[in-house]
Amino acid sequence: MDEGAAALGLFVGQKATDATALVPGLATAEADPAADRAALEALSDWCARFSPAVALDPPDGLILDITGVANLWGGEAAMAGDLTARLAASGIPVRVAVAGADGAAWALAHFGAGTTIAAPGEEMARLAPLPTAALRLEGETAAQLARLGLTTVGALAGTPRDQLTRRFGPEVVRRLDQAMGRAREALVFRRPPNPWFARLAFAEPISTPGDLARAAGDIAGLLCARLEAEGRGARRFELCFHRLDGMAQRLCVGLSLAGREADRIGRLFAPHLESVDPGFGIEVVTLAAEAVERLSPRQPSLDDGARIALEEGIAPLIDRLAGRLGAAAVWRAEPYPSHAPERATARRPPLSESENETWDLKRPRPLRLFSRPEPIEAIAPVPDDPPVFFRWRGVAHRVRRAEGPERLAWEWWRVAFDQAADPVLVRDYYRVEDEAGGRFWLFRAGLHTGGAPAKWWLHGLFG
Amino acid sequence: MTYAELQATTNYDFLRGASHPEELVIAAKALGLAAIGIADRNTVAGVVRAWAKGREIGQRVLTGARLDFADGTPSVLCYPADREAWGRLTRLLTVGQRRAKKGECHLIGGDLMEHGEGQLILVVPPPRLDGAFEAALKRVAGEFLGRAWLAAARPYAAQDLKRLAALDALAREAGAPMVAVNDVLYHGPERRPLQDILTCIREGCVITEAGPRLEANAERHVKSPAEMARLFARWPEAVARTVEVAGRIGFDLGQLKYEYPDEPVPPGKSAIAHLTDLAWAGADWRYPAGAPETVKATLRHELALIEELNYPNYFLTVHDIVHWARGQGILCQGRGSAANSVVCFCLGVTAVDPTAPDHDLLFARFISRERDEPPDIDVDFEHERREEVMQYVYERYGRERAAICATVIHYRPRSAIRDVGKALGLTEDVTAALAGTVWGTWGDGIPDDHIRQAGLDPQSPDIRRATALAGEILGFPRHLSQHVGGFVLTKRRLDETVPIGNAAMKDRTFLEWDKDDIDALGLMKVDVLALGMLTAIKKAMDALGIADMADIPEGDRGVYDMLSRADSVGVFQVESRAQMSMLPRLKPRKFYDLVIEVAIVRPGPIQGDMVHPYLRRREGIEAVDYPAPSPEHGPADELKAVLGKTLGVPLFQEQAMRLAIEAAKFTPEEANGLRRSMATFRHHGGVGVYGEKFIGGMVARGYDRDFAQRCFRQIEGFGSYGFPESHAVSFAKLVYVSAWIKHHHPDVFCAAMLNSQPMGFYQAAQLVRDAREHGVEVRAADVMASGWDSGLEELGSVGDGAQLIRQSAVRLGLRQIRGLKREEAERLVEARAAGARTLEDLARRANLSRQSLELLAEADALRSLGMDRRAGLWAVKALAPEVKVEAQAPLLALMGPSAEGDFDLPAMALPAHVAEDYRTAGLSLKAHPCAFFRPLLTGLGAVTAAGLKDMKDGRRLSVGGLVLIRQRPGTAKGVVFVTLEDETGSANAVVWRDVFTANRRAVMGSAFLVVHGRLQRAGEVIHVVAERFTDLSGRLAEMKNEGGPVARLVRSRDFH
Repeated sequence: MDEGAAALGLFVGQKATDATALVPGLATAEADPAADRAALEALSDWCARFSPAVALDPPDGLILDITGVANLWGGEAAMAGDLTARLAASGIPVRVAVAGADGAAWALAHFGAGTTIAAPGEEMARLAPLPTAALRLEGETAAQLARLGLTTVGALAGTPRDQLTRRFGPEVVRRLDQAMGRAREALVFRRPPNPWFARLAFAEPISTPGDLARAAGDIAGLLCARLEAEGRGARRFELCFHRLDGMAQRLCVGLSLAGREADRIGRLFAPHLESVDPGFGIEVVTLAAEAVERLSPRQPSLDDGARIALEEGIAPLIDRLAGRLGAAAVWRAEPYPSHAPERATARRPPLSESENETWDLKRPRPLRLFSRPEPIEAIAPVPDDPPVFFRWRGVAHRVRRAEGPERLAWEWWRVAFDQAADPVLVRDYYRVEDEAGGRFWLFRAGLHTGGAPAKWWLHGLFG
Repeated sequence: MTYAELQATTNYDFLRGASHPEELVIAAKALGLAAIGIADRNTVAGVVRAWAKGREIGQRVLTGARLDFADGTPSVLCYPADREAWGRLTRLLTVGQRRAKKGECHLIGGDLMEHGEGQLILVVPPPRLDGAFEAALKRVAGEFLGRAWLAAARPYAAQDLKRLAALDALAREAGAPMVAVNDVLYHGPERRPLQDILTCIREGCVITEAGPRLEANAERHVKSPAEMARLFARWPEAVARTVEVAGRIGFDLGQLKYEYPDEPVPPGKSAIAHLTDLAWAGADWRYPAGAPETVKATLRHELALIEELNYPNYFLTVHDIVHWARGQGILCQGRGSAANSVVCFCLGVTAVDPTAPDHDLLFARFISRERDEPPDIDVDFEHERREEVMQYVYERYGRERAAICATVIHYRPRSAIRDVGKALGLTEDVTAALAGTVWGTWGDGIPDDHIRQAGLDPQSPDIRRATALAGEILGFPRHLSQHVGGFVLTKRRLDETVPIGNAAMKDRTFLEWDKDDIDALGLMKVDVLALGMLTAIKKAMDALGIADMADIPEGDRGVYDMLSRADSVGVFQVESRAQMSMLPRLKPRKFYDLVIEVAIVRPGPIQGDMVHPYLRRREGIEAVDYPAPSPEHGPADELKAVLGKTLGVPLFQEQAMRLAIEAAKFTPEEANGLRRSMATFRHHGGVGVYGEKFIGGMVARGYDRDFAQRCFRQIEGFGSYGFPESHAVSFAKLVYVSAWIKHHHPDVFCAAMLNSQPMGFYQAAQLVRDAREHGVEVRAADVMASGWDSGLEELGSVGDGAQLIRQSAVRLGLRQIRGLKREEAERLVEARAAGARTLEDLARRANLSRQSLELLAEADALRSLGMDRRAGLWAVKALAPEVKVEAQAPLLALMGPSAEGDFDLPAMALPAHVAEDYRTAGLSLKAHPCAFFRPLLTGLGAVTAAGLKDMKDGRRLSVGGLVLIRQRPGTAKGVVFVTLEDETGSANAVVWRDVFTANRRAVMGSAFLVVHGRLQRAGEVIHVVAERFTDLSGRLAEMKNEGGPVARLVRSRDFH
């Protein structure tokens, strides 16, 4: 919450609709605690440049243990200045406090004025005027302390410890001690991530397609060996060519099942290598594996034969098809709960486990459903008998058998509400068989109203 | 072509049927159906409405139920063929409902066989026809030989005809012939979207994900015989059979004849003889000097009619309940039309004498031979003791013969928008914002500017859909709940008339029908209602040693003077802002003025624009004349008898009805229809059809059109809150009694009111303030002085002899302390009585929990022990070491005198004390919060509330204070009234619609507000007409200058 926003009357914890009502045209976005946490973690990793020991203090704090490292920056003040300046350059506002105790640093960072550096022994003097909330006291305890008039850290510190403990338990005194450096806190320092990552540097820059392909194969070998050693596989690999001029060119491939076969992964990159522009040459190649998961070592047995064959057989095919045609072009149709035929199937990844694999046999649907119904001419008795004759793509069909109508009204919540009950937004579907034995799925758009002639469409073919 | 629809679902099949029962019946009539059969799932809650509509418009309605079973038995439609079979159906439903929790019904196939005699059964085939169904069908057909059919529908699914052919074959084989139905869910296809929404609400899903749970098309509506014949062209006999089935149903709800339970009478006496004796004995009690001749004559007349119409048992029942309550010392009073009856007065059911001068109440309004409707006696009891009366009724009549009727909980604007928005997939903050724009009821949807103010785009299709559908669902029944006190008592088993189900409360049951249904069927009921004011009056009378309300002297000038000053905080009915601004204009001088006062501030007279004419005539500004027809149509003074008492202006519901008969020449049937539609107007808006007849009738006879239209608007107003004269008379009695107590014994009044909370219009803070303004000393709640209730502490007496008046101070009770439990407070009082004199002693002897001790300390109730709240809290917290003990755990072992060193807490400033007083008790005797902000208020140009009365009309000024009440009366076209309170008194502000729209947030959200505007003065009534606002709510936190945001100190009460 910056000053501009506060001046408009906005505040943290306000309802989104209230805020919009107060400031028309306010841009709002959904809160995303997971992303906030991830960003804090990323920032924590970045802070590793200042100290190897960084702890998260969610939702918005970081605690750095800078014991013995501040002199690298020429003192705590210079270090704090560097940190503030660097974050400011990235547009991240920050409040920094340095103190001999975690609790004191927390209090000063949250309630102090600007960047504060508390010299050893100075904690009490600096914390005394701060509110008790600076001690991380919450709830009924904090409220009752206020009612007792003990509103500042100083007032609390001046209260006999035994009397405080007797009334509020050990928590208040413990928090006070943590702020004064009399008690240590157990902080969980975050270890930097250990990404599945390989790097290959060349003495001489490379640029020919053959070299690039070899480099891709080599680096895949490096990373896959590590994956194999740790019993893991990955679903996505990102190959990055770093050029002499500092530009980086990235290629990405995905697998339908997690894998670690270096050859196969190398081959999947092959078709894309021609898109890489080496410029004046490539000096470094990196490969990162993502979506890494545990993969048991292969142990084919006789009874597993069929399953292995299927996966081993179809998975590489799907990967190659997806590699050639694009991942979006390969999918599997699965029933989706909707009355609208167009919406009654969902595209799923080719080898995913199906969720609700049941097609309703009481409602026959054509094997081939046109993505766009095709207009036909048809003759049918009114109001809703099946057609006796229709002409599709110039060919006449005489109907020999028919079933229907199956009346499907349009999903009214997708149209303006005043059209919700419009009889035009209804389709009468018929399953018909012509004299040649061909089976078709036809529909008449709109109910018979006696006005304009009915419009007929062909929506699909059975068998 | 003829057809009867045998499978129609109403919206009493909650969250499934998408039309009101009435709508289905009207559609059936319009399409020319031979009959329409109502068959909701395991309930008959909606059948009376359908049946009543059918009776009104001449459409045959069949009453039955669809029975769904828990054990896999296929569902059936069950239509009782005769009265006895109906009784078996309702017993069957009772069995199923008693077995399940509230709102559910668990039946098994065996139940149907047990209660199957006389039932006509239509088996409903499941979606998948299998061997199990075939077997079940054969079983049912065998069991109900010649009375079983197979119901078959054409829903326009993919393979309808194939399925029908299969069903027909099954039906022939089983011997349960196929009958055509349309399985109706709504009256017309346009209701499909709403039905889909209901499905989503029922299934708890969002519309875009509801998929096949929704119907595929809009075909489940009432269809014409011709259309049904076309759809079943291959099976014409299936359509013909519908009429045949309907023809075999000989039961009609009209056959439910009511039999009143026999009351025990002394041996050898008839019920009427016993009633007569009781009534005459009552007359001796009511008229100690002997009943006047008019009373005797009226009594004889009433008793004769009661005997003729066979109601003596009903009167004996009501007498018995009231008599029992009296014996228990429970104060009660009849309300409503019973006040017209001298018998009721003599039996002690009502408290006003109908024959008293200018009461002029008419027995005919209570019972009349022509109307032939059972009398309706509603009795109010003290609200804290009503439960005892109800338990007595159960005990006396047994669960089989006494039950409470239902209240239908309807969709209200907020619940409608919330449920519909959720089903449409709107996020919670959007639906909450939409719901927040609604105040009370909404007529034509939510205005766009409200939606915009809520931060939403009214043009967005999502918002449009949500508001349109919410508008449609409005008034739909949502579930049944237990009526507050409407008992139906019968001679025969009640569950053979109507199913009885479980209530949410343990061991409570209630009927499936509500009081409109009971009325429509002509069953009799007794309303056992709760009224908070009776509790307060009883407590005050006990304190004053007054035995009966009748002992309070009438015609006290001082009381009327007080009321004429609008000095009426706490007085029954006339304490609201609207009543307070009426009192100085009406200046009540006698009892009947109070009757008018109670009745005039009501939607009826206000909507009919009758208030000002009446006041002008009363003040003598306007001549009293009577609207008259043209000379050829009747005598000029034909309305004088009707309107004489009210100076020619109709004010009461009865007068409006009389106008319909005398001036608009309604026939008795039409008048009855009008009256009935007024009763149900709230839900269905049925008065309108009489408008043309009423206005046209009056105009045709030479009445002024404007007058006729106003009269009708008034009738519409009565529709929403009917208020007959007799009711006003009963209420006026309580106005007088409570005003008398307040005037003569403000200390007693204050304590009685505080001890009866929650009730009335004002909170404890205002009642205490009012008492102090009347010179009553109010003392703070204290552990060494207070009981649970507020009490009186004698101060001595003034005067002597007969003029001796005892004066007392009010000691606030511990009940004022928020969160303190009664049992603990009572233990504390016992411990004190047993000699506990120190904090440790009290805590130990009363075994007080830590939480209670802290509450007492924080409420500053330890003063007499020498501790203010701060020292008290410090001391209380030291009573036991705060190791992780459960907050509730009693302090078992208390330590000896502590050896703590001295430590002084910072002193607490007065504003912080006041803020804490409000937080812990909702009031402060130390100071008013506004006093601390006076310099700030003065700086903003605000005058004090008390200062307003010295200001000139029309002057621009500002006034600030805590927001006590916000009110937006439905009759006031979007005007909001805000009542502010500062340290000198309270002030009323009027916020006109456009000012409100521009300042919605400040008006609705603030707790501490300055209103800038113009003074408007009408006699002694002063308002500030608001122009703009300064919201100071944020500044209240400063009172606690030690940091931490203060919650709203005073909760304002918002009346919708």
